[in-house]
Amino acid sequence: MPRKSKKGVRETKARSTKTQGRNPASEESPSKKGSETILRMADMDPNLKYELSKIPGAEKLLLCLQCGTCTGDCPVSKRVPEFSPRAIAKMAALGMREALFTGDLLWLCAQCYTCYEECPENVKPSEIISALRKMAVKEGHIHPAYRSQMELIGTLGRLYEVSEIHNEMRADLGLPPVPDSGVDEVKKIMKRTGLDKLTQIDLSKEG
Amino acid sequence: MKYALFLGCTTPVRLNGYEASTRKLAEAVGVELVDMSGAGCCGTPSMESIDHTTALAVAARNICIAEEMGMDIVTLCNGCYEVLSKANDFLKQDADAREEVNKILAEVKRQFKGTVKVKHLVKMLIEDVGLANLRTLVKKPFDGLRVAVHTGCHLIRPSDILKFDDPIRPELMEKLVEITGAQAVPYPDKTECCGSPTLAVRENVAPQIALAKVRRVKRYADIMVTSCPFCYLMYEMSQLSAEESPYVPVVHLPQLLGLAMGLSYDDLALGENRIDPSKMTEFQTK
Repeated sequence: MPRKSKKGVRETKARSTKTQGRNPASEESPSKKGSETILRMADMDPNLKYELSKIPGAEKLLLCLQCGTCTGDCPVSKRVPEFSPRAIAKMAALGMREALFTGDLLWLCAQCYTCYEECPENVKPSEIISALRKMAVKEGHIHPAYRSQMELIGTLGRLYEVSEIHNEMRADLGLPPVPDSGVDEVKKIMKRTGLDKLTQIDLSKEG
Repeated sequence: MKYALFLGCTTPVRLNGYEASTRKLAEAVGVELVDMSGAGCCGTPSMESIDHTTALAVAARNICIAEEMGMDIVTLCNGCYEVLSKANDFLKQDADAREEVNKILAEVKRQFKGTVKVKHLVKMLIEDVGLANLRTLVKKPFDGLRVAVHTGCHLIRPSDILKFDDPIRPELMEKLVEITGAQAVPYPDKTECCGSPTLAVRENVAPQIALAKVRRVKRYADIMVTSCPFCYLMYEMSQLSAEESPYVPVVHLPQLLGLAMGLSYDDLALGENRIDPSKMTEFQTK
């Protein structure tokens, strides 16, 4: 994305979030100075919002009123002040690609769909976050925990390795052994869709 | 009534008590649950936010197994229910997506036909067995037991797709609990998520979310009831790690229903629950 970067670049001062002081060493974009967050026009990609709006579920991004209903009832926002679906929608509209795609911000969403149900404009903030994750993944920014999950599913067919001990414990309660997971089929599907390359996982590993 | 039992990942490996009590309850209510050989992970709600097509194909492969068995699916996990139900409905409605997914599934010699339904245990009990029938099976009702029902997220949301219960004020699981004579008590922020999906991203966040609910529940209820392995583990593990005092026992829905129907404590594997729930039985009148 070509960016207009010249001397005397325009800077917009935005209201601070409550997180300043918690990460004082952070020099990332958006840069922080005192109690203010500096948004640099040069760091913003005006096309991000159009790219994003094409992903199913995120079509209504630009209808966001910034009312904050989503953040008000978000179980994560209540405990992690820097996570806010409202702010993420704004960052997406402004095109703050790097701030969104690096770090764990997008991956903190619990996908509980509370904001999806309560948004008065039916913007579906959780789906916007899901669409942003898809874009981040395409650019190589999958969260390591999600990457490991995909690798487990691709190499075991499920999230856990089943051992003899598990089946013995099950037998004690009269339960049959854990059924076969169909891992060979899952592996073929992932290779065919290219999920292994997309998420940089190694499917040749034995489960 | 016969169903294909979709166990998912977490229940058969970490929560034998949930599976054992489900199987016993099914017998008691006249439902046959048949194991699905070759069914693995549903794909997880996470996969949908990584790659849509793979998520659909992985979910559809599992649904194909039930189609081949000629049975509707019953899941024990809210996450599996959301993933499979969403994929099933989407593929039934969207011919282009169905064609694309079937091209992928051809590689594993399967085909999605769209011939079965996906149900969660709670949905199957309410819609197919019916509250009136279940009520007639209650032999050892509870009296005075206050239950905090945690419906969880993916049983009811996204509601425009799952179309099961009210997404903000759900009541169906509470009705199910109340046939046992126990009281499903109101408590603040009842529909708040357990936090589980954030556990792998920042491990200190999910326990805060879960414990906050446990502490609210404590003021109103004697036990918590869940219908999802992830929610159950969040509420149990967060209390154990924090050495919460007093502990609030967490039980699986079929354990509560089963006790009221006269099944034994051992049959329902209540001894598997790491926070001792035995005080529940003191509320049984017969």
